Amino acid sequence: MHQITKIAGYVAIILVVLSFNFFLPRVMPGDPFSFLTGDPSMDMPIVLDEEMRAELLAYYGLDKPLLQQFSDYMLNLLHGNLGWSIYFNAPVSNILIGRLKWTLLLVGTATAIYMVLGIVLGTISAWKRGGKRDVGLLTFILSISSLPSFFLGMLFIILFGIKLELFPIFGAQTPFMRYSTPFGATADIFRHLLLPAATLVIAHIGGVYLLMRNSMLNVVGEDYILTARAKGLAEWYILRKHAMKNALLPITTMIALRVGFMISGTIFVETVFAYPGVGILLYDAVTYRDYPLLQGAFLIITLAIIAANFVADIIYVRLDPRVKHE
Amino acid sequence: MKKIIAIFCLAILLCCAFSGAAVVAEEKVVKVGVGAPSGDWGYPSPFGFYPRGPGYIRMSFGFDTLTWKDQNGVVIPWLADSWEMSDDGKTWTFHLHEGVKWHDGELFTAKDVKFTFDYTKKQKIAFKWFQSLDYIDHADIVDDYTVVIYLTKPFAQFLADIAGDVPIIPEHIWKDVSDPTKFTGYEAVIGTGPFKLVEYNKDLGCYEWEANKEYFKGKPVIDKLISMAVNDPAAALTTGGIDETSFWGQSAEAASDFENNPDFGVRWGPSYWVLQVIFNCEKYPTNITAFRKALAYGIDRKEIIEQVVHGYGISANTGIIHPDTEWYKPDLPGYEHNVTKSNEIFDSLNFTDTNSNGIREYPTGEELEFELLTIGKYSREAELIKSQLKEVGIEIGVKVMDWSTMDAILKEGNFFIAINGHGGISNPRILKAPDWPASTFHNDDYDSTFTAQEKTTIVTARKELVDHLQEIIADDLPVYTLYHPKMCCVYRQEKLDTWFFTKGGVGIGIPIEMNKLVFISEEAVSTPAPTSTPEQPGFEAVFAIVGLLAVAYLFLRRKK
Repeated sequence: MHQITKIAGYVAIILVVLSFNFFLPRVMPGDPFSFLTGDPSMDMPIVLDEEMRAELLAYYGLDKPLLQQFSDYMLNLLHGNLGWSIYFNAPVSNILIGRLKWTLLLVGTATAIYMVLGIVLGTISAWKRGGKRDVGLLTFILSISSLPSFFLGMLFIILFGIKLELFPIFGAQTPFMRYSTPFGATADIFRHLLLPAATLVIAHIGGVYLLMRNSMLNVVGEDYILTARAKGLAEWYILRKHAMKNALLPITTMIALRVGFMISGTIFVETVFAYPGVGILLYDAVTYRDYPLLQGAFLIITLAIIAANFVADIIYVRLDPRVKHE
Repeated sequence: MKKIIAIFCLAILLCCAFSGAAVVAEEKVVKVGVGAPSGDWGYPSPFGFYPRGPGYIRMSFGFDTLTWKDQNGVVIPWLADSWEMSDDGKTWTFHLHEGVKWHDGELFTAKDVKFTFDYTKKQKIAFKWFQSLDYIDHADIVDDYTVVIYLTKPFAQFLADIAGDVPIIPEHIWKDVSDPTKFTGYEAVIGTGPFKLVEYNKDLGCYEWEANKEYFKGKPVIDKLISMAVNDPAAALTTGGIDETSFWGQSAEAASDFENNPDFGVRWGPSYWVLQVIFNCEKYPTNITAFRKALAYGIDRKEIIEQVVHGYGISANTGIIHPDTEWYKPDLPGYEHNVTKSNEIFDSLNFTDTNSNGIREYPTGEELEFELLTIGKYSREAELIKSQLKEVGIEIGVKVMDWSTMDAILKEGNFFIAINGHGGISNPRILKAPDWPASTFHNDDYDSTFTAQEKTTIVTARKELVDHLQEIIADDLPVYTLYHPKMCCVYRQEKLDTWFFTKGGVGIGIPIEMNKLVFISEEAVSTPAPTSTPEQPGFEAVFAIVGLLAVAYLFLRRKK
């Protein structure tokens, strides 16, 4: 019974979000065709007459009543059809998949690294609180993490890209390089990934580290740690089995909360490194009022957040079985 | 187990031997960098590119038009060798170049030209870029290489804006395509142009073309052309990531680093772009012409150019058309910064500061305050104007918004003044709506002159009409133009040094240095025999060596 209510809850959330995704963009001033008449780049404006405008609206089905558009959208969605992007002139699903794979690579790599590093360093810090190592780590991590990510990115570009010429300074891979072996291509992607991923790691490690450190500090003061020590268990064993496992609870919540942000929040890094990703795509979609693309992108983010929450719920139960019984 | 390892090593070894060590002939590749957040301008088919200048340029590499523009903006024969216009200016006969082939080997004939014009007219909304198709009535085939195009009314810009703009598409591919917007297969990019599309990557914003060796105007001087998105064009140029890029406005400062470097060439060109203050000519008090002039006198354009574009711009023609075109009307009033004059006019209009708080009041007594709308890009200009107008007693609130929002507000006419920029000011057609995207300016003389010049095919007579349009704008001041930014391209000399800016812009006025003529030389002799250079040992070589050692080790051990 509990499971059913939970699933019903998720479905309800998805439905509400879908409606929001549909109606919110349409409430914003402007429409998908104002970009045609010249987003004021270096271009000449195209002046749309009323007749042309009406034909365009009809072509994209935007002339129908809102409710009918909404039901069309829902029906298409049930068929797995996310629609056709007006600005990018391609199926929304293709555009999203194309960008998502780079975002996942970048964010996935960075998240894995900063999570592990943050947890390990946070644990080390808390275990010997106030020690030389703790103070050193705390100062170091807080100071590098407080640098804005775009600034850090530019610093990396100038240092490792231009001065030392160690890494490429833009893009996700060398365009149209034909490698004789898959190793070459992988190495190329890896070389492009390193600087942006490092930037993200540094930008995000502070939060994880601090949270882990605080959470560990709370746990270390608990009676059961004292008991464990009194039993004569090895320090390493207590740390791993007794302290860390309990201290990880807030981190799980944190990851789940961050998922949405991780997909869209890399926009600074994407911009600085000209790395293709969902962040810039989302920004463009809003700028161009590209309704189908906006709906698609927000849908993906929503689903990712819901999925993350779902996974977090499961992990939570495994980490802390008490949750299940409550 | 050992056997498996041995086989595995051998496999890697063979792989490397065949591919890694292969000798690659050196190709002449030119890489162009785009400093926008995205280098993606859409699929370069006539219906797939984003309706933007850079999109059109990328499409034009694969497709040709009946006429084209050379460096001096002169219309030159392209797919058509020659043409005649009837006396009434409504019938154009084109004699096509014979023996031109589509990329797929089919022969290009008059049938394709007729098909193109019929098809584009029918698929109007797919051709968002082409705005003049209403002029086309129909096209007729006379023989295989002669085609006649009938217009609904005479159109002065026909040769450049239609014949020189509409890409000719192959009938055998498009005749069954009912929704060209969504037709994005490989066939959609088969044209007659100097380059064939090899790959387009939307996510990375990259294009790769290879030379069309059978191009009817001669084989392109390069083998491969690549266009890609870069974060920092100047840095990418320095590190060799790209071979050419362009800078615009304030970013042109970066070009100065290259001007004294012998490895690089720098060419300057007009941007055909203008930033202007738009006045609402329907709403009190900006509907008073003298009031608008007083505001113009209060604005210091020179300061804006110095502060915002760091001198990389020129004071704009108040008649909108760029000075570097044949249509420019010189000596129009510039309303250069003059606080005294501005104050005098405001006083004479009875907008005076009666309560001495530094801000003028309406004759009715309310404070003279209003909002200046702008998008984020021009917020610095807006802040400067705010402080400049403060000196003449006008209180301005700057309101920054995104483009779509401002576009909607201007269209509704719900504003006093706004800042907006646009390009295309090499072509008189841009004068159709001088206060675009608003439409608050109404002047019967102006409208009739505009319609008349569109039809006037005699250049001198037309020039007079276009001059008159510019005079009206400078005099009525529906907009006060601020500056034209400068533009330049920087390129690595040894890669390619033929870049140029087309006078009047490519096609209907695109100020991009990638006119396809840059890549074509009529005297192109066959390029010298390709020299071969072995690839430097990289990953593959390391694997090969490790593999060899492993195999040798296994064999030696077995012998023991």
